[in-house]
Amino acid sequence: MNKFHKINKTPPPIATLNSKNLLSIEGMNKLEINSLLDRADYFADLDPLKIIKTLNGYVILNVFFENSTRTRVSFELAGRRLGAEVINISVDKSSIKKGESLLDTANTLSAMKPNLLIVRHPESGAPKLFSDYLNCSIVNAGDGRHEHPTQALLDALTIRRRLGRIEGLKIAICGDILNSRVARSNIHLLTTLGVEVRCIAPPTLMPKSLENLGVNCFNSLKDGINNVNAIMLLRLQNERMSGTESPSKREYYRFYGLDEEKLRMAHHDAVIMHPGPMNRGVEIASSLADNEDRSLIKTQVEIGVAIRMATIEAVYNAQK
Amino acid sequence: MHKNNNPILLKNIRVIDTSQNLDQEMNITVNNGIISYFENSEKNLPLNENDFRSINCKDKILSHGIFDLRVYLNETNNENVSILKNAAINSGVLKMGILPFQKPLLDNPIMIEHLIEKTNFNNDKFFYPYGGATKELKGNEIAELGLMAEVGAIGFTDAPNCIQDSLVMRRIMSYAKMLEKPILQNPEDKSLAGLAASNSTTIQGEMNEGEVSTRLGLVGIPSCAEVIIVERDLRLAELTGVHYHVSNVSTKETVEVIKRAKLNGIKITCDTSPPYFSLNELELSTYDTSFKLSPPLRNEEDRIAIQNAIFDDTIDIITSDHKPMSNDAKILPFTSASTGASGIETLLPLTLNLLNKSDVSIMNILKKITLNPSKLLKVEIPKIKSNEKANFIIFDPNEQYLINKDSLQTSPTPFHGRPVQGKNYMSMMNGKVVFDNIDLL
Repeated sequence: MNKFHKINKTPPPIATLNSKNLLSIEGMNKLEINSLLDRADYFADLDPLKIIKTLNGYVILNVFFENSTRTRVSFELAGRRLGAEVINISVDKSSIKKGESLLDTANTLSAMKPNLLIVRHPESGAPKLFSDYLNCSIVNAGDGRHEHPTQALLDALTIRRRLGRIEGLKIAICGDILNSRVARSNIHLLTTLGVEVRCIAPPTLMPKSLENLGVNCFNSLKDGINNVNAIMLLRLQNERMSGTESPSKREYYRFYGLDEEKLRMAHHDAVIMHPGPMNRGVEIASSLADNEDRSLIKTQVEIGVAIRMATIEAVYNAQK
Repeated sequence: MHKNNNPILLKNIRVIDTSQNLDQEMNITVNNGIISYFENSEKNLPLNENDFRSINCKDKILSHGIFDLRVYLNETNNENVSILKNAAINSGVLKMGILPFQKPLLDNPIMIEHLIEKTNFNNDKFFYPYGGATKELKGNEIAELGLMAEVGAIGFTDAPNCIQDSLVMRRIMSYAKMLEKPILQNPEDKSLAGLAASNSTTIQGEMNEGEVSTRLGLVGIPSCAEVIIVERDLRLAELTGVHYHVSNVSTKETVEVIKRAKLNGIKITCDTSPPYFSLNELELSTYDTSFKLSPPLRNEEDRIAIQNAIFDDTIDIITSDHKPMSNDAKILPFTSASTGASGIETLLPLTLNLLNKSDVSIMNILKKITLNPSKLLKVEIPKIKSNEKANFIIFDPNEQYLINKDSLQTSPTPFHGRPVQGKNYMSMMNGKVVFDNIDLL
């Protein structure tokens, strides 16, 4: 990566969003997406100690209704690097069991006058509900099977930094697409940026009418990854499955697990990505996951912080 | 509630009596609750107008009160029997079938008797309860259908649940056949209508399966989950000879199957409700939970098929499927929000809206909310003629306005802000004026 000549360039402006919320990639345009990627690209190369803390006094609540380590820490770090105060709240199931409705929880939090709520929730559309009733900004950190916008943004930037471009690439998304919010966000983002997107899944994990989202659908991994530049693997969402979608992990690995042999069908320098946490020996061969020439899995995590910095800053700017 | 004790004279009113196929402009007087004069408006009036509260009703319609086939009596925080009754009367609904799904359930004779006693004041029979087809509406054991029929259950259903087990369904049908009562089914194959049931885990379907559910990341219910149950039930209906009634037809495929069954002479009727001929799944794009219904809103092709099936009489009855919900049950993320919406107050205008979509006659449309439900449940339809007690509603079929959720007594409505036409102005039950806005005409 050409770190050196980038540092001397004038930094790209703060990303511009048409809304004070980031709820989904669907509905965002190319300009918004590229401005976020450009700004995050700049942050990714910056020494964290040299970042100007422009968000002093800005209060961010990380509200997670579902377990998460990497996304929560990533948002927290991003907020802190910009100088904001970040408070983590895990709303465990007990407070919901006590009978408090989601909206009451939201109003309680809102009374503390945060500037930004980062919400993860197991139900699709929950962040939208927050945005309908609260005044502060809302960033969706993953809602049910719907979207996970910052994950798609960081995936795109990871690819752009490695392959030098996005437009015109062929990218495969493979695995449990039915239950995956990462897949939906990636599909919207990549198709908006002019990528040929191929979705690969067994028929039981392929959502209905997916081709209407502008992608090509494949049941065969080998056909699907033919000559692609990048392969995004998805985790088998055991917690969202009912048990009849895939006969066994062994069978899944046989047909959809990526190994060295299947990878040969892809472009010769195709890269492999995974939003984590991954199931080794199910979605991906262990040796491939650790192959740093091919696997960008660790880079994705690094870039995640930069993307979330750009997002928080853009949301802050859009509020003004 | 008598606003004015003078006898009423309704001049030039268009009388549509669906039970007689009568559609005529008439002059009518009502004296002490009895229709005293009932003649064609071309005849000279042999009366002194000054003796009457005289109203010019040109282009207004007088018809039987609406019989709303299926209503949930959910006593939520903001709705109870008297609110429901009041909302119904104001909207032209003078009879309603009460579904057994309430607390406590209407799955035994004591509850049926209790409901009838509690709700039918002064012998004005207004609420007609169904009995649960199975105990606790769980679909396992047949309920006391005979005893419930004896005390006044008008039919049997597990609504909103679908009777899944084929053997249970067969037994219920043969029993209901003996009792000469209809079976109402809300068809939905449970295992298909979600993310497959395995052992104990069922992920409930949340909306129609298709592009919209894929975009929103909501669990889809395929439209075939409906027709699969109807096809099975038709075989059992043929076997047992029962009167089988399909509730809330929502898909194109179900319409086709019912049409064929009717041609084959099977004793089958069906209904739908306004959301299924007025709205489609695109309404859900913003996760608005007032559109979370069961069955789910389908695609545009289905909506058109339902509308056409009303016009060609494949669908016999239009009902409100009134299922009120408190706000607390609806202001939730989509998955957690309850299913259902109010409908009783919007039934008449949304049904009349159909007149703009085809050259179907108003007689035919009114049959679906008056005569046909009475026939299905074998409830006598009152006569509209002289020397009979006044039992009718008067509405303006042309008045145009927007539905406003804040002016409705029941909630939530999926039709807020929608243009409709038709408004009720007077309701008379058993000779009594129970709603009177007629001076505003």
